Amino acid sequence: MTSVLHGNRLIQRSHNWISGFQERLKLFLFPSASDSWLAVLRIGLGFQLMLYCLSLRKDWIQLFGANGTGLINRELIEAVVKLDSSFLPTLGWLVTLGNKIGLSEQTVLWGTWASLLCASGFLLLGVLCRCSAVVAWFLYVCAVNSGNLLAYGVDNFTIIGLFYLMLAPFPDRYALDRKFWRSPIRDRRLHGFFRRVLQLHLSVIYFFGGLTKCLGAGWWTGENMWRALTHAPFNILPQHLIISWRAVLPILGIAILVLETGYPVFIWLKKTRLVWLIAIVCMHIAIGLTMGLYLFALIMIILNLAAFGPGLLRPEKTRTELAVAELEQANSLRP
Amino acid sequence: MLWAVANDYTLLPRSVDRWADKAEDITHAALGEKLPTSNLLRQIVAAYLQVAGIDKGYGYFAPGVPNSYKLVFELRYADGRVEYELPSLSGKAAGVRMVTLLDHIAQTQYDPLREVILKMLAYSVWQEHPDAVTIRAVFGQIEEPTAAQALQGQSESYQFLYAYDFSFARQPANSAKP
Repeated sequence: MTSVLHGNRLIQRSHNWISGFQERLKLFLFPSASDSWLAVLRIGLGFQLMLYCLSLRKDWIQLFGANGTGLINRELIEAVVKLDSSFLPTLGWLVTLGNKIGLSEQTVLWGTWASLLCASGFLLLGVLCRCSAVVAWFLYVCAVNSGNLLAYGVDNFTIIGLFYLMLAPFPDRYALDRKFWRSPIRDRRLHGFFRRVLQLHLSVIYFFGGLTKCLGAGWWTGENMWRALTHAPFNILPQHLIISWRAVLPILGIAILVLETGYPVFIWLKKTRLVWLIAIVCMHIAIGLTMGLYLFALIMIILNLAAFGPGLLRPEKTRTELAVAELEQANSLRP
Repeated sequence: MLWAVANDYTLLPRSVDRWADKAEDITHAALGEKLPTSNLLRQIVAAYLQVAGIDKGYGYFAPGVPNSYKLVFELRYADGRVEYELPSLSGKAAGVRMVTLLDHIAQTQYDPLREVILKMLAYSVWQEHPDAVTIRAVFGQIEEPTAAQALQGQSESYQFLYAYDFSFARQPANSAKP
């Protein structure tokens, strides 16, 4: 009898623990969050894409042209990419489609460039957000696949950002869509979930990036800092200047290891979040300025600010405050 | 990261390499990469990973900063003149992308693919110099000095890796296209 009672108590206790864990997990994955993160991501990615288009304007045909017009024949790159999966979207799809309606390859390529630029402008303003995000993501993926041999980190992170943006619960309160269509702001828990996924993804990125760096001797001795700064074409700073700073290089190298590996811990702690975010943003600004990787720096800053920025300096509004604000806004929109 | 450990590019003892190799194998299998390339599941997983931007690792400049490479085109003219050109793109943003291209050329294990890529680059140079009779593409690795070596005045050195000779007929242009 006693053992039965004891067994029942154990079952009850484990049941309580499981339901408590489920509740905590639910709270962790679906926290109540405002739509500010989405506004940061949307505007940031719009700006990023605009810079991407404008910076590659002169080389667009050289990068993606086929049959003698490009630096590397696009068709060759696409053939190599298709070995991985024939489902991967490429600019070749659009060119084939364009050819069927009588458009030349160059027209399609310039059309793609213009569409990407338009989508970026729409994202910046918040017009037709979902449609613009899907178009931007699709065209960007096509461009990356068709220029795969020339793609680098910035493309990966831009695709990550655009993928989340495409699925995000639009619109945010700063989007023009909200004003035009009077669309309601989606559930705060849904916003919380999307933001949480982005936060977790960034934590994984930095942790593994940092850990892999920790396993290389050069980051502890400053040698990799030296190599990164003197490696062509990232050698923006004059070599004599870097030589004069050589004593600081190991410190900078170790600081990067600490920042990246410690990211999944210190960015989550309320007390250290602001300091860590500022330090990470400063690190990316430094990468941009000293190595000329401006677009890479920008995309990392955007992702960080979207994931951990909102509510950091000024606490996000409570549910009641937001509900009142929504009501006031709805009243002001009423004719 | 597992790739770097398995290939002994890290500080970890060699005994760990074997485990990393196994873990890498498991990861590849989990992602369907052990399946035949024509397998539908493998293709769907590969496509999803790519369109979500999660198909590559995040170890940029990790565990070490990779070597840089240089490609020089030697243009020979009928009158015996020799000129040197570097592959270039107009914009700075596109120029950064050339680094990735040179890395790909260096890492390509399949020689005919490397030759085709270099031929295409040579062709783009030839289009600007159509009088050149032959173009030799010389690909090499740049060995940069360490901070200590640079302090002693040592500059970068160039280690030859590959060279290919190409010639493109001016007329008809189509037949010469790579």
